[in-house]
Amino acid sequence: MGFTSRELLEYLANCFSGGTWPWGNVAGLLFIIGEWGLLQKSGLKGWWALIPSAREYQLARCAGREPEGRILSMAEFGRILTNGAMYIARNQGGIVASVFLVAEITLEIVVFLYRIQVFSGLIEGYGTGRRWMWLWVLHITRWIPALIWGWKKKYLPEWQVEDLRREMLVRASSGSTTVLDQGLTVNLKERSTRDFFQKKILLWDIHMVIPQGHMVLLLGGSGAGKTTLVNAINGYEKANAEIMLNGSNMYTQYKHMQYETGFVPQQELVRNKDTVYYTLMDAAKLRLPKDVPGDARRKRVEEVMEIFGLTAVRNRLVQKLSGGQKKRLSIAMELISNPSLFILDEPDSGLDGVMARELMQQLRKTADTGKIVIVITHTPDRVIEFFDDVIVLAKDSARTGRLAFYGSIREAREFFGCEKMEEIVKLVNRPEEGGAGMADAFIAKYKEVQHA
Amino acid sequence: MPEEKRQNPFRRIRMRYRGRFSQIQIYLGKLLRMFLYQSDWKVLPMSAMVAGLVGLVIRKRFFETMEGTLMSALAVTCLCLWNGCFNSIQVICRERDVIKREHRSGMHISSYIAAHMIYQAMLCMLQTGITLYVMRAVGVRYPTEGLVTRFFITEFSISLFLITFAADMMSLWISALSRTTTAAMTIMPVVLIVQLVFSGGMMSLPARAEPVTRVIISNYGLKLIATQANYNAQPLGSAWGTVERMKGNEIKTTLTMGRILDYLGDPENPQAEQIRSVKLTDDSSLLGAITVGTVVDTVNAGEDSEQLRAQTIPIDTTVGEVIGMLGEKEVREYVETKATESAQVSDYDYSKLNVAVYWLSLAFFALVFAGLSTITLEMIDRDRR
Repeated sequence: MGFTSRELLEYLANCFSGGTWPWGNVAGLLFIIGEWGLLQKSGLKGWWALIPSAREYQLARCAGREPEGRILSMAEFGRILTNGAMYIARNQGGIVASVFLVAEITLEIVVFLYRIQVFSGLIEGYGTGRRWMWLWVLHITRWIPALIWGWKKKYLPEWQVEDLRREMLVRASSGSTTVLDQGLTVNLKERSTRDFFQKKILLWDIHMVIPQGHMVLLLGGSGAGKTTLVNAINGYEKANAEIMLNGSNMYTQYKHMQYETGFVPQQELVRNKDTVYYTLMDAAKLRLPKDVPGDARRKRVEEVMEIFGLTAVRNRLVQKLSGGQKKRLSIAMELISNPSLFILDEPDSGLDGVMARELMQQLRKTADTGKIVIVITHTPDRVIEFFDDVIVLAKDSARTGRLAFYGSIREAREFFGCEKMEEIVKLVNRPEEGGAGMADAFIAKYKEVQHA
Repeated sequence: MPEEKRQNPFRRIRMRYRGRFSQIQIYLGKLLRMFLYQSDWKVLPMSAMVAGLVGLVIRKRFFETMEGTLMSALAVTCLCLWNGCFNSIQVICRERDVIKREHRSGMHISSYIAAHMIYQAMLCMLQTGITLYVMRAVGVRYPTEGLVTRFFITEFSISLFLITFAADMMSLWISALSRTTTAAMTIMPVVLIVQLVFSGGMMSLPARAEPVTRVIISNYGLKLIATQANYNAQPLGSAWGTVERMKGNEIKTTLTMGRILDYLGDPENPQAEQIRSVKLTDDSSLLGAITVGTVVDTVNAGEDSEQLRAQTIPIDTTVGEVIGMLGEKEVREYVETKATESAQVSDYDYSKLNVAVYWLSLAFFALVFAGLSTITLEMIDRDRR
């Protein structure tokens, strides 16, 4: 058991260089020098090349293979650990050493395969020939292309790795909005994800108050953070935020409010192998208060089936329903408990124009009973008359979702200077998405309006 | 700034919703419906087919010899593991998004898991019944008398049910841990191999592996079945078989008289002592009672003993002839008794205590895995897209 000082030195050298004693270590050191240059050329810090496991991820970022880089980095880390365990267990023989050996061989295979993907990305990024791959795949020759590409000025990557943190530093919060006893108050400071070695901010600084009885349209281009925002509002994916519904905190007091919120996500969350009637009946049993008599519960189920045109298919299996019917079933399940806050993510996808209007009409009726209805739709103009307000989300230059506008439909038209909602989306979309790329301007303009 | 006290409107008008027990009924109803609609019933004919195959292999060996019983016990344990694992490996991960949504709208995870436990227990019972019936139909003959209960079949059913159910709950936990069905189905074979290797039935495990076997369902299953099949009371069939195969082997050697005399003169050897006491003449003879021992001692004491000791006797025979000379029946009895004695395993002792310990261990495993499933699934709110 334990390391001798020579073994420890050998192990550390192997970990650092990623090779084996002694020539593998030399090749590994040369590769690190080359990798330093490669990282710098892609706009990353060169010293990442000195950190085993992390450098694999950073190199994958340079190659535009970030997801593969994550697995590669973890596999490399595991390989280093199992290698150390092998050193310790080397004298024990038998089953322990065999287990570590099998683990190491498995991880070696994973590392090798993912490295090929990363190097293939590098070859694409540097626009060189595929023949370079032969040098990249072998540990003993890998340092040659790394040194050449990393330090020769002739070789330049086609893209730079974005540093998502740079914009964050100059951003400032616009503060918060006053919490109202009635309605929905959103004070979202940040919604971020930690993606391996970096933090990604998905939403930033969104504050608004939606009064009761309002039906709100949530608008924004693809990837602007619409679904992320509604998930943050109903606590489905929590954010650094304070979300208050009728004076109660949606995050900390959710237990008391879980029957008061209805949420229809993009995909239908229903069991395909159950019938329509029993799906609704089970939803009613779960969501309606216990003291609601059986007759009243059945009546409510019949009622929502009638409203959403599901009576004819009541005994049919959910999997046999059309896309539109499934969507209506999802909505019916949520509406059964008559929630105070009703959020729908693209409820009209898969519905024809007539159906979509009928659905929005129904939602309007729900809002008129004093409920808050928030709807994401990609075809807003065909149903715009049913909405009171509009929220416009846009991706800023750091690709973070920001609030570009919140107000009535009339105010939105004045603010953006266009009649149609789809034109608004075009204005805030990035040029590569076919938009005008004016998101930053409108975000700043709206901030000024808010402060005024 | 003085803190403004705001009343929670939801607390003011506190509604009572369905509790845990009531939710179990809802989900149990749903699972039973899905048993029909989702073709979950397919696991029943599948278990019949597997039981048939296993039964055909073990019918001549189970309850007959030690090796046959151990091999059959392993096969039956694996069959139960297979049934249990495939019952529930996908049930949670395939509807993870639905569970998260329902959990956020009031579903208790404990009720959901409890409903699954009841439903899976029913499936396991049916599978146990089918397995026992099919194995009997293909020719497996069960003993009649039980150890704990009056009938063997009753307690054997309990054992098979507990192994299947524990495996079922284990894969329910794997299903709760997995985000996708693909992930669950990837983990499954690894788990089955671990169960097989550490069952102790395939190969003898080193002492270092002992702690691992304590958390292996198949290990308890194998011990339980071997105990109930009264493994220790059965003959070790392979011992006499080995001797039989050696019957034709030749024995060619030369013995010196010295070696024979040393053997017969060894006071520590009880067999030699027995031979020494054999009388060569009667008490009534002129020389009195002369025993083999007297002759051996006289020869050893004689002046020309060294010469005599150097004399050689050639031996040219076969194992079969020696056995025939000694009496085949007696040799067989002797070999089998000795081999069976050396093959005894205390873990398989035919005792009520052993059976009770294994039953309780398997039931404990099932409960622990169900608990782990509940704890794992309680964290479903942390799932991100």
